Amino acid sequence: MTCPYLEYRERTADRQFDESRAYCAAADRFVQPMRADICNDRYGLEHDRHCEIFLEHAGDEADANDDEGEATEG
Amino acid sequence: MSYDDFLAGEPLIVTAALTGGVHGKEANPNLPETPEEIGRAAAEVEEAGASVVHLHARRPNGERTFATERFQEIDDAVRRHADDVIVQHSTGGTGAPDADRHRPLRTDPPPEMASLDMGPLNRYDHLTSENTRGLVDSLHEEMVDRGIKPELEVFNDGHLNEVRGLLERRELADPVYATLIFGPGTLTPPRPRNFLNAVDNFPDGALFNTLGFGRHQLPFATMGILFGGHVRVGLEDNVYYRRGELAESNAQLVERVVRLAEELGREVATPARARAVLEL
Repeated sequence: MTCPYLEYRERTADRQFDESRAYCAAADRFVQPMRADICNDRYGLEHDRHCEIFLEHAGDEADANDDEGEATEG
Repeated sequence: MSYDDFLAGEPLIVTAALTGGVHGKEANPNLPETPEEIGRAAAEVEEAGASVVHLHARRPNGERTFATERFQEIDDAVRRHADDVIVQHSTGGTGAPDADRHRPLRTDPPPEMASLDMGPLNRYDHLTSENTRGLVDSLHEEMVDRGIKPELEVFNDGHLNEVRGLLERRELADPVYATLIFGPGTLTPPRPRNFLNAVDNFPDGALFNTLGFGRHQLPFATMGILFGGHVRVGLEDNVYYRRGELAESNAQLVERVVRLAEELGREVATPARARAVLEL
């Protein structure tokens, strides 16, 4: 099962990609590749447990701010 | 390593982290994702002065993969385009099963180096990269079997304790080489005093690499140069050249740090010299 807000788009009004990329219809933006694992429920990740954007849109009080993450995985 | 090593003229190893696995072209369209793009970027950073390329693998749509086959395609492209650069694979991966974390080690030939995360770090609001000691040991075991030198990734000061713990329970080939990482979240706060503290707490005889995230990349690279350490830059860690201006390429970031090193009188290592320093 994938997140119901997940779409794959090649373009928006101001961006275009050669390959369709994960797009979050809830947050109205392209998804970071690592977050796409959550959208797609890969590796045992679950969008309804691990995605603060989904939780917020599902009525959870989780903070949707994503500016505090780290940009590397080692 | 210390300011004395800087004065002694130890050569500087520049690592370029070309792509990473967290963000992609949605953050900077110049970030390489396909094997061909990564191979060309490797050649460009080598020409600019990098001697090591730190690599992650991507699916065709830019999403992460840990597949050996995809790392093989990337390595083949790097070797096709670049002359002599040292290949370093990432074994990091939030949420990925431990078995998948081993897959980047299984290319033919194996990478000369691979990252080894020293402990946990938080992701977003509901995720943690666990990096248990059991996983660290099993990854190190396979690196030893395949002749791969670990690049120990120290995300915060507690991970310096984990480095010492690893050295107590396992024998690591000299010289021990670790990357000190500074930035937000679980990382060591990016303050100069914390850099000096980390260097002071580093095991004797070990070599350190310096990594600052985002706008901290250049200042921390400068400190790494001045204190006898080595430096990592690249679009994995920082997609901007300066505030509000996206970097044109990985090579642009490497060129800047090479200019800085030369201005400060630090010789930049060729891949052959870097192999000698790292005893690869």
